[in-house]
Amino acid sequence: MSSARERILAATRANKPAETVLPAVPDFGGDASLARFTEVLASIGGTVERLLALEGLAGAVARLFPAARLVASPLFAGSLAIDQQTPVDVLADVDLAVLPVEFGVAENGAVWLPEANMLHRALPTVTQHLALVLDHRQLVATMHQGYARLAHGPGGYGLFVAGPSKTADIEQSLVIGAHGARSLVVLVY
Amino acid sequence: MSYLTHAGRAEAFVLDHERTSWHDETLWFVRQKRDKAVYAVPEFQELRELASQIKNHTLSRLDFYLEQFEAAAQANGVQVHWAADAAEHNDTVLRIIRQRGASRVVKSKSMLTEECHLNPHLIAHGIEVIDTDLGERIIQMRDEPPSHIVLPAIHLKKEDVGDTFHQHLGTEKGLTDPQQLAEAARQHLRAKFLAGEVALTGVNFAIAETGSVVVCTNEGNADLGVSLAPVHVASMGIEKLIPRLSDLGVFTRLLARSATGQPVTTYTAHYTKPVAGRELHIIIVDNGRTQQLGRPDFRASLKCIRCGACMNTCPVYRRSGGHSYDFTVPGPIGSILSPNIDLKKHSTLPFASTLCGSCTDVCPVKIDIHTQLYKWRQIVAEANHLPTAKKLGLKFMGRLLASPAAFKISGSLGRKALRLLPHGLTHHHAANAWAIARELPEPPKQSFREWYQQQASPTA
Repeated sequence: MSSARERILAATRANKPAETVLPAVPDFGGDASLARFTEVLASIGGTVERLLALEGLAGAVARLFPAARLVASPLFAGSLAIDQQTPVDVLADVDLAVLPVEFGVAENGAVWLPEANMLHRALPTVTQHLALVLDHRQLVATMHQGYARLAHGPGGYGLFVAGPSKTADIEQSLVIGAHGARSLVVLVY
Repeated sequence: MSYLTHAGRAEAFVLDHERTSWHDETLWFVRQKRDKAVYAVPEFQELRELASQIKNHTLSRLDFYLEQFEAAAQANGVQVHWAADAAEHNDTVLRIIRQRGASRVVKSKSMLTEECHLNPHLIAHGIEVIDTDLGERIIQMRDEPPSHIVLPAIHLKKEDVGDTFHQHLGTEKGLTDPQQLAEAARQHLRAKFLAGEVALTGVNFAIAETGSVVVCTNEGNADLGVSLAPVHVASMGIEKLIPRLSDLGVFTRLLARSATGQPVTTYTAHYTKPVAGRELHIIIVDNGRTQQLGRPDFRASLKCIRCGACMNTCPVYRRSGGHSYDFTVPGPIGSILSPNIDLKKHSTLPFASTLCGSCTDVCPVKIDIHTQLYKWRQIVAEANHLPTAKKLGLKFMGRLLASPAAFKISGSLGRKALRLLPHGLTHHHAANAWAIARELPEPPKQSFREWYQQQASPTA
């Protein structure tokens, strides 16, 4: 008896068309400016806040999120200790996660958040609010350039995050804060 | 066995004029948002061509990429399963759930699991399955299928959602504010996410070279479910493969712009390796796809990335609603996928089109949808699945249009008949379905040919 695997592969081999060429994808260039990134992010419900220096991060977070009690971040002291072993009930109470991102994409307001920067894989979506910290020199124009930055692979788990969680499933009315973060701020230094 | 026709099923939907107009206008608005997003990208047409070529190439070496993907995924610690059909797929999911002794499942949107009717299978075996996409959860509570692949509850108004949530979530009666309704769903679903033992997802793209699967959502429900549950099961059709990670640059630029006019989905998640101590299973499903691959006229339908642009633009879909198609994937793309699964059952779907070609124009991977609709019509006719009236009518029209003399006489007779016969007869619903909601034009006094002959006679 042949397995499903063998049957599927055999049928694929028998039925596939004549081989065609895999095209090379050009780099289309484009605008990689912070102004463009800021404008697009605002159009999808996120905001950009400028930091003068990374040292001012904790102060900026306290100023921007005065109501946040439980804050998780690898970037400053005094925050909640979270790692991949943290139980679900602790994660469920996080008010704010402040996580570093590797680069931003100006054309769509997305930022690349690899697993190594997340503390726990669920943190970027389970937290009520999300602040992502981006070096202003790490901006690319398009997703082509974004994926070119991931030449060593996407890691075990990685996310492009573009704005806060949202839905339009009720009569096409936009609602921010579906299941993931209710708000998203990109802190640019 | 006889089946209802597309037009027959659409009748119920179009009875409510106000709702039909709202549906039509709302989807057209989504199409306009798509246009705005597309025009903002100068290289958009080049991206469509690249996407089409990448998908064509992948299909032409699909066996190679499937094996490459499997090997890479296994090297990442992923458990890869293969399923020839829906039953094998559903059994595999159930087996994985039972191996963990689990009973609480959270599921993000997956058209493949809809196609396989996974939910009823799991529920029949005592598993709680919660759809976590807001639109999917709404229709799950109402026990309805999705009516659109991206906007599953687009056939409903906020009053309907308010009633459903009042009944199932205990929200205030008469609540219609989308913000408050969505918040109620957030609270309800958060408890389900936190308690989830197994997370099921679909797959938007599978990367052969890295063994990763990519899932795109706006709500974040896939990531929340997957990252909290100890087991992730991702179900994918064989056609989801793309060769390289860098190909995602092309597809992520096309998908959300084509679907909703967003520059990209909020979350584009790349799942490559499970966390230590947790499990990632990927089920690779055929369920008729290799058969479609073997149909030269129709294999391009396997390039589809499920953006829904062809539905949003289709004048028939917009005015008939997704449920009138009675197939997992409605709209133009569904009408070229469904005859491969059951030609007789879906024989009226290739006719649910004006062949205007708008679907083909907006398709981000350049599937020749309207050409395939036309070709399926020939196959439906050859298989003798046309209704008798249509068969005879087409035969008659074929003869008539092939003969200039017959055309001339019948044109003259038709103009006379329209003038002389009573309106009740020329516009009778049984005799002339075209006139159910339309008026025939005033018959002209002469034909174009008669007029032309007068012009052509030399007067000088």
